[in-house]
Amino acid sequence: MSQSRDPEQVKKLRTRSHMPQGSLLFEKVIPVLLVVMGVIMILLVLFAAGVLLGIVHF
Amino acid sequence: MSLNQLLPFVSTAVMLVFTIYVLQRYSVRRAPHFLFWGIGLAMFGAGSFAEAYLALAWNKWVFFVWYLFGAALNAGWIGHGTLLLLSRKKWVHVITAVLVLGSLFAAYLMLQAMPNLDEGAFTTGKPVSEQYGTKALESGQTPPAGAKTETVTYRGEQVTAVRGILPLGSPVRLTTPFFNIYGLLTLVGGAIWSAYLFWRKRVLPNRVLGNVLIAAGALSIGSASTLTRLGYGGLLYVGELLAAILMFAGFLTAARPQPAEESVAPAIPVATD
Repeated sequence: MSQSRDPEQVKKLRTRSHMPQGSLLFEKVIPVLLVVMGVIMILLVLFAAGVLLGIVHF
Repeated sequence: MSLNQLLPFVSTAVMLVFTIYVLQRYSVRRAPHFLFWGIGLAMFGAGSFAEAYLALAWNKWVFFVWYLFGAALNAGWIGHGTLLLLSRKKWVHVITAVLVLGSLFAAYLMLQAMPNLDEGAFTTGKPVSEQYGTKALESGQTPPAGAKTETVTYRGEQVTAVRGILPLGSPVRLTTPFFNIYGLLTLVGGAIWSAYLFWRKRVLPNRVLGNVLIAAGALSIGSASTLTRLGYGGLLYVGELLAAILMFAGFLTAARPQPAEESVAPAIPVATD
């Protein structure tokens, strides 16, 4: 995609867009959401694996 | 038509717009992840439409579409798009081949199951997700209220089962958890991982938010489907619509150019995936 570009230049461009500092959303809400969603994902995967292995009947 | 019957049609409309948007991107960029996302989203949309149709009437080929695309394949294909975006290693091509061949095999198994569908078990009174599978009852277990039961021979034994559309032990049902586990890990896991990477580097907040929305949307339908299969189908259609809206919103948010990128994009087209 961007192999022909100067990596430093690309990196510089990308890092121009920073998260707002002191934002409740980015400092608190997002990290909690990521953890909660990760836990839910693991539970759903375990459920599906349980069905596959015949442990969960439905 | 009740609100509950209308919701899957709304989900279908959202998914249709989303699919066209993604496939348009593929036609311009030719990046394979857009193709897999587009196909997976089209499957999701077809599954939603089939579900909406089956809330009104029976058609065995609509059921075929619902099960194969809506229940079995779509999550795996969308998730594989995410994997193609995150990794460009050669082993991903092996997984692509396995996914395509596995999907064809699932379609073959579904076609084999078609002559044996129990149409008499179907009712428009509840979501198809709650009635597609025949369930063997354990000894002493009582069937749910209003359930139709039958005695069938299964693995050489006479068992009492709650009637479902697909016969007991249909091989196609064994394929579904594979696709769904793979889809969950790649789609939700990939979105969470991407969001975390950008969050850790404190850059591109739109990508963080976009990926959070995509993960939340995928979990919404995953959770609603799981609850439905456990007998709590009341949230299924809402979960589907929520999934369609959240994933589309997440995709648009993540793809939105940032002001700094926007001003220089024509000169230096950085990767925006």
